[in-house]
Amino acid sequence: MNVRAPVADELFSRRELLLRGGAGFGALALSGLLARDNALAKAARPSFVQPHFAPRAKRVIFLFMEGGPSHIDLFDPKPLLNKLAGQRMPQSFKRPITAMGETESPLLASPRTWKRHGQSGAWVSDWLPHTAGCVDDLAVIRSCWTNGINHSGGVCQMNTGQPLAGRPCLGSWVNYGLGTENENLPAFVVMTDTKSTPTNGPRNWSAGFMPAAYQGIRLNQGAEPFRHLNTPKGVTPETHRRKLELLRRLNERHRATRGHQSELEARIRSYELAYRMQAAAPEAVDLSRETEATRQLYGFGNKDTEPFGRCCLLARRMVERGVRFVQIYHGAGSKWDSHSKMEANHSRQCLQSDLPTAGLLKDLKSRGLLEETLVIWGGEFGRTPMSEKGDGRDHNPTGFTMWMAGGGVRGGQVIGATDELGLWATKDRLHVHDLHATVLHLLGIHNLDLIYHYKGRPENPTINEGEAYKEITMG
Amino acid sequence: MIQRLAILWVLLGGPVFAAEFTQADRDWWAFQPVRQAAMPTEGGGWAVNAIDHFIARKLTVHELSPAPAADRRTLIRRVCLDLTGLPPAPEQITSFLDDDSPDAYEKLIDRLLDSPRYGERQATLWLDLVRYADSDGYKSDHYRPEAWRYRDYVIRSFNTNKPYDRFVREQLAGDEIDPGNRDALIATMFLRHWIYEYNQRDVETQWRDILADVTNVTGDVLLGMGLQCARCHDHKFDPIPQRDYYRIQAFFAPLLPRDSMPVGTVPQRSKFFRKHKAWAAATGDIRRQLDAIEQPALLKNTTGEGFGKFIDKIKTMIRKRPEDRTAYQRQIAELSERQFGVEPAKLPERLMGASKAEWERLRSELKEFEAQKPRPLPQVKFVVSDAGPVAPATRIPKKGDVVEPGFLSILDPGPARITPPQAALQSTGRRTALAWWITDPDNPLMSRVMVNRLWQQHFGRGLAANTSDFGKLGEPPTHPELLDWLAARFVADGWSLKKMHRLIVTSATYRQASTNEQSERADPANTWFARAPIRRLGAEQVRDGLLAVSGELDLESGGEGVAADKSNRRSVYRKVMRNSPNEVMHTFDMPDHISHMPQRNVTTTATQSLLLLNSEWTRQRAAALAKRLAKRHPGNAGAKIVDAHELAFGQAPLPSQLNDALAFLDACGAANKPPGLAALTEYCHVLMNANAFLYVD
Repeated sequence: MNVRAPVADELFSRRELLLRGGAGFGALALSGLLARDNALAKAARPSFVQPHFAPRAKRVIFLFMEGGPSHIDLFDPKPLLNKLAGQRMPQSFKRPITAMGETESPLLASPRTWKRHGQSGAWVSDWLPHTAGCVDDLAVIRSCWTNGINHSGGVCQMNTGQPLAGRPCLGSWVNYGLGTENENLPAFVVMTDTKSTPTNGPRNWSAGFMPAAYQGIRLNQGAEPFRHLNTPKGVTPETHRRKLELLRRLNERHRATRGHQSELEARIRSYELAYRMQAAAPEAVDLSRETEATRQLYGFGNKDTEPFGRCCLLARRMVERGVRFVQIYHGAGSKWDSHSKMEANHSRQCLQSDLPTAGLLKDLKSRGLLEETLVIWGGEFGRTPMSEKGDGRDHNPTGFTMWMAGGGVRGGQVIGATDELGLWATKDRLHVHDLHATVLHLLGIHNLDLIYHYKGRPENPTINEGEAYKEITMG
Repeated sequence: MIQRLAILWVLLGGPVFAAEFTQADRDWWAFQPVRQAAMPTEGGGWAVNAIDHFIARKLTVHELSPAPAADRRTLIRRVCLDLTGLPPAPEQITSFLDDDSPDAYEKLIDRLLDSPRYGERQATLWLDLVRYADSDGYKSDHYRPEAWRYRDYVIRSFNTNKPYDRFVREQLAGDEIDPGNRDALIATMFLRHWIYEYNQRDVETQWRDILADVTNVTGDVLLGMGLQCARCHDHKFDPIPQRDYYRIQAFFAPLLPRDSMPVGTVPQRSKFFRKHKAWAAATGDIRRQLDAIEQPALLKNTTGEGFGKFIDKIKTMIRKRPEDRTAYQRQIAELSERQFGVEPAKLPERLMGASKAEWERLRSELKEFEAQKPRPLPQVKFVVSDAGPVAPATRIPKKGDVVEPGFLSILDPGPARITPPQAALQSTGRRTALAWWITDPDNPLMSRVMVNRLWQQHFGRGLAANTSDFGKLGEPPTHPELLDWLAARFVADGWSLKKMHRLIVTSATYRQASTNEQSERADPANTWFARAPIRRLGAEQVRDGLLAVSGELDLESGGEGVAADKSNRRSVYRKVMRNSPNEVMHTFDMPDHISHMPQRNVTTTATQSLLLLNSEWTRQRAAALAKRLAKRHPGNAGAKIVDAHELAFGQAPLPSQLNDALAFLDACGAANKPPGLAALTEYCHVLMNANAFLYVD
């Protein structure tokens, strides 16, 4: 689809649609922007309202294993690594620049027990027994690569496509492109398994140069799921209602003397929306309505698995209610980072995340939600075959594993390969841009045709690069 | 002979550039010289100044009539927010309403332009353009303890009405142009505001990204040209070949981020340089021998991120003695050295035996020359200089062609003429050449770009809508003659920003009301400016405005930044931490200050409504306003309401609104304990959520 300048009628009708037909977080913002003038409306207007082609997936849940899980200890077994353990990497392997400079340290064996699982016979190590049970639903991508060698650049790139800050993240692009299906909830929700902040903080779910309306909204556990959702203590419901009524009267009077100003109308509506959210959100996050069996599935009642399990269960409730993009950070604050004591670190991280991840997949599947919900698993990079500090591994951006499931993905397949030590992706290499293009493709969006005009420049989610790996679908 | 000359010309590169551009490229409006057209005759009777005649001509063409003049209350609120970022206090409103003199408005403008608040307001707009922040960005988001000096420099420059061309030259090349002026050196922090990752081992890539950032921001801010497309390929829409990107980048290629830079006039620097050179020559052998002993011991035990994590190529550059490094080696080595520390104080315990004895002997020998060493000049931190008088080569990536500094070739195809500065400055003079080219009155871009930004500030949209892209992706100007007229006037007025603001805000065009039924119907986008725009307050205006209304605003000027949620100072003085923006300001579309932001997004979100309705911060402002009102009008509910309206909206309440308010206070007073102040707080809280506060017209 080509970008074209909107004509006035089209703008008007869309604006009317947004104002009259009910509008969520993103759309409201859009209506405000549309009102300003044509030149700017062009910048704010998505190049389309509908997907470019029939989508496989309608929603996304991105399980972000923050800090860099070790692909060669989880999904990508390397017999040669154990054979050469303790030695320097052979000269035939090209040396990358690594974060900690560990190019010449001895290779570190993987002490895992590896097995083929499911009908597909894909390899998964004994660190992920529950995920292994779902392997026939997964497309394991062993040939991912990225540019950012540090956490900051890596996490930034996995979210926004480039290591340098400033661009909108994938969730924002999806929100911008597809909007929401539930006007009472945000279209793009972010959770963390602990109170720790992920590397880069809220910048990871920011809309970058796009309007803030497309950014992710943090969903918190506890009495106030979204920030400032609750009426302040000491303000009775009656006073609150009275205040809103007085505000409405003031605003109506203000608007009445100012002709047709849709931005002012939109602002009035934003208070109505806030009021409706105050009613809708508590129900959406009320886990007491879930059965014991469901809670078990997500690892409730176990201090290791419950924190991430809660996020996963909330994610299911969100996508059930039409939230478009959910991102959960597991190990928020680089907890998967294992420069030393790999064994203890990954044992803990896998224990916490494996069962809830599998629980989410099973639950989505049994409810018929998996077909239209794309689940993504992975970190900002993998880890090196070279050791660090004796029993750890350095960052490996040049080859690592992610997986996708649901949302039209053909399960039980392994895509691509790394070299014999798992250092460089070699076959069917998929750069972050390709991964993002693939996600967008599953959502029915062509990555280069989703355009946002910034400073007059047509920007797209994958920075003029990236090609969807279309073979990932059911065919 | 002619043939030979032609070949020579080809070799020199002239026609190569010439052939690259089509006639349409050359005819593009933004590249044409600024032409001052004759003032149109339309608008007689309505027009106050030249602006109005240009506007009136287009209104006539489009069969539109201007809106009537805004009433005085509306006008004072508009112009106060535009020029100072703050709503007018009731006392300001009263004195303006009571002034019957014909130039009451002009006097108001002069007062506002003279107010220190003016520079603070203008600085917020400039800081968006130059991606100013007090932190590095990236994971650790380290605080930059010196950056605020740049913010104060900007405020000071606007308040003293520094000519804009000089303001720009200082930022690009203050270290070369005026090295004895501390302010001119602080100005070069313009070239330091890039995000920076303190532990990035891929040092060369980070340096390339820094140079790209500096190139891009210069193009965006000063030329109104999005250069970055041309970093990787010829610009697809504008006549900016990839070569031009690197011609411009070459001006910055010698750049060296400095954490300590001498402040000294050329004679002072020359004196220091001569003495230092003599000392260095006299001690060269000793210091070389000392280095040979010290360096291995120092690099063996490094602090911070350590020396060992770099690739061999970088390690080699670090091991080179500073005086033996090329400019590029100096850039990369010094950038790398920021990642680790050495501990010279521990050398006595780390050196052993014969080498220690030798070291001690050399040290005492060196000490004998101490008296010859020049006394250090005062220093300034977090600025830039060049890495030396010889610039590193600039190459086009992949192609490898070496590029010499030059300007946009569509405007000036030849190589830049560069005059090396005095040897004492150890600088190439490249940035000075760029600064003079950019600020040359014959450069059609800089003056147009700036007056267009000012127009955007006052009318919500530039005469050319994309204020940082005058290329083909931007929109051509709606009033090209007016844009040129303003640009020419700006230069003729000595690049005076205050004069330009005054001209714009005293125009009849600016003074229009925001309602004009004919224009709303026929020109909903207000392309022809037949009414004033209705605009939402910006992030600073929301925060500062609430604090001003509640009577809590602390007007202390300058100094190190403060945490916005713990201070009542103006927002411009907050610490701009890139990874943890202030919540109120972020919610109201504060940009991330990672890259250039020419025009803020304006969103209307439920998140904003929830914040204003439910956040503790807003409620505290409401409580403060209630207290303020109770103090000003004890026992008089009606007077409190009138005052509250004036403070928050700049308007008196209508009789019906007064009744609504009284009814509200009664009802809430009955429901809440204690009555009175609690009910008044709720009332103030409602006003702080109202569109009459959040919007200006």
